[in-house]
Amino acid sequence: MNKKRGIIGKILNFLLTTVINVPVMLLTLFCMFPVVWMLYSSVKSEKEFALSIISFPKTFVIQNYTNAIKIGQMNICLSNSVKASILTVIIVLVLGFITGLIFGRYDFKFKKPLYIMFLSGMLIPVYSLLVPVFIEMKTLNLNDNIYAISLIYGACGLPLAIFLITSYVSAIPKEIEEAAIIDGASFNAIIFKIMMPICIPILGTVLILSFLNAWNEFPFALVLLGKNTKTIPIGLTYFTGMYSVKYTQLLAGLSIATLPVVIIYFVCYKKIIAGMVAGSVKG
Amino acid sequence: MKGGDNLKKDFSKPKSWMLYSYLAPSVLLFVSFSIVPMAMAVYYSFFNWSGGPMKKFVGLNNYLLLIKDNTFWKSCLNNIFIASSCVVFQLGIAFIISALLCSKLLKFKEFHRAIIFFPVVLSAVVVGFLFRMIYSSDNGLLNFFLSNLGLSSFIQPWLDNPKIALIFVTVPIVWQWIGMYVVIYMTSIKSIPDEIYESCAIDGATGFRQAIYITFPMIMDTIKVSVVLAISGSMKIFEHIYVMTGGGPGTSTMVMAQYSYKSSFIMNKMGYGSTIAVGILCVSLSFILISQLLFERGKRRYE
Repeated sequence: MNKKRGIIGKILNFLLTTVINVPVMLLTLFCMFPVVWMLYSSVKSEKEFALSIISFPKTFVIQNYTNAIKIGQMNICLSNSVKASILTVIIVLVLGFITGLIFGRYDFKFKKPLYIMFLSGMLIPVYSLLVPVFIEMKTLNLNDNIYAISLIYGACGLPLAIFLITSYVSAIPKEIEEAAIIDGASFNAIIFKIMMPICIPILGTVLILSFLNAWNEFPFALVLLGKNTKTIPIGLTYFTGMYSVKYTQLLAGLSIATLPVVIIYFVCYKKIIAGMVAGSVKG
Repeated sequence: MKGGDNLKKDFSKPKSWMLYSYLAPSVLLFVSFSIVPMAMAVYYSFFNWSGGPMKKFVGLNNYLLLIKDNTFWKSCLNNIFIASSCVVFQLGIAFIISALLCSKLLKFKEFHRAIIFFPVVLSAVVVGFLFRMIYSSDNGLLNFFLSNLGLSSFIQPWLDNPKIALIFVTVPIVWQWIGMYVVIYMTSIKSIPDEIYESCAIDGATGFRQAIYITFPMIMDTIKVSVVLAISGSMKIFEHIYVMTGGGPGTSTMVMAQYSYKSSFIMNKMGYGSTIAVGILCVSLSFILISQLLFERGKRRYE
């Protein structure tokens, strides 16, 4: 009797496990499929792609990539995107760290209004800023300048960075720097020699998030950048506008834009997920 | 005790001018590229201006035009359609997935979480192009699947049919952001104490009923936050539309951000474009406010 029940229980359990696991697995695969399809189709030959758009590649046509780089000027776009993203990361890291640290550690008169001002930045829709920023940059003669656009990306990335760093710093026990203060360490020494090493994990999160945001940013790049300063997302829109472009080349172009994101994501997805969720819920 | 605290504070506290000088660069950067432009947008919205030296003050005229502008209200309605689809499908699907992901029977949890979140970090431009290819009439994946399933009769120009285009541009938007809410919900569900589930298992509630009667009310606050997030997120939709349809055919998939961009930079109406931008800000803030008020009310009724 007991044994029978055990078997039925096991079967039920197995059925339930399948009922839960299989649909979720299918859904996960569906989530991933468009991107995987893009990546493997980007190395198919034109003929293969026309024959069956879903089959795995039998050949490995790297020319799709070289053509995408040549026709779509992806080399220019890549170097521009790298420049803008790295400069943005530096701006956000340095300014975000100092500002977040001060907000998290010290009290001063205008702390609250300043902090609220930065946080409100997460609510302002970028599209309200397009026209005035465009005019601003044009008057300063900084439009069509890949380094200048990093300033804007930096300003847009600051609120999230400051929020993350401030909450991280306020959770660090004060005793840590008190010893150093008694030893007579200067303000600079406390910031850079003591607090910075402790903050490395959150700075890593900020680094990745600001890099991804700058890499993917579209609207500002669209209105501010020209032919020689275009970043990858803008380059893609130029590229698809051309009539001669083949599907496989287009997929190669999309893959060039996506591969860095894929690699960064799967290396440090835990940090990315935690940082983005914290930023969006509190923001 | 108090004296000692004070002493420590004085000892460790740098001079305030020093703090301000360290804050100055970030404040300067942020103010000059966020706060000042926001104020300028409001200022420009009172002018008739094409970006050149001629700027004509027209007072509230732009706003009167905006109120009568059919395209603006059409795009506003489209935004509302996208927002409500996001609230219903994004949040609904995310709730189901996260409830399943938290079940003890599920295997490879970390794998699922990582993959489902992945589209969130993708560039919206890439997602737009990818779905444009999926919907494409000659080599699209969607048509390929339909014809292989023997449903060729359903095949349509997905993005060129003004009646259905809006639905099909909403799909990638919903798809891309599900992972965000799955992770938000999962964090929240994990914080529900196990004892509650155990005691209700004793009472005989399992699986589906647990999800409805325990998980759902317990994470209500998180759900509210997600609704506000989904609404404010869908008010900002731009890249997907720009890449997939450009707002067409006609104005059938036009959204507010796309309309503002088009008026300002394609039609060169910088003043009116700014008016639309201010309009976007007002509309999205009021939707967030309304959704919060509704929740407050619902809560009161519930209590």
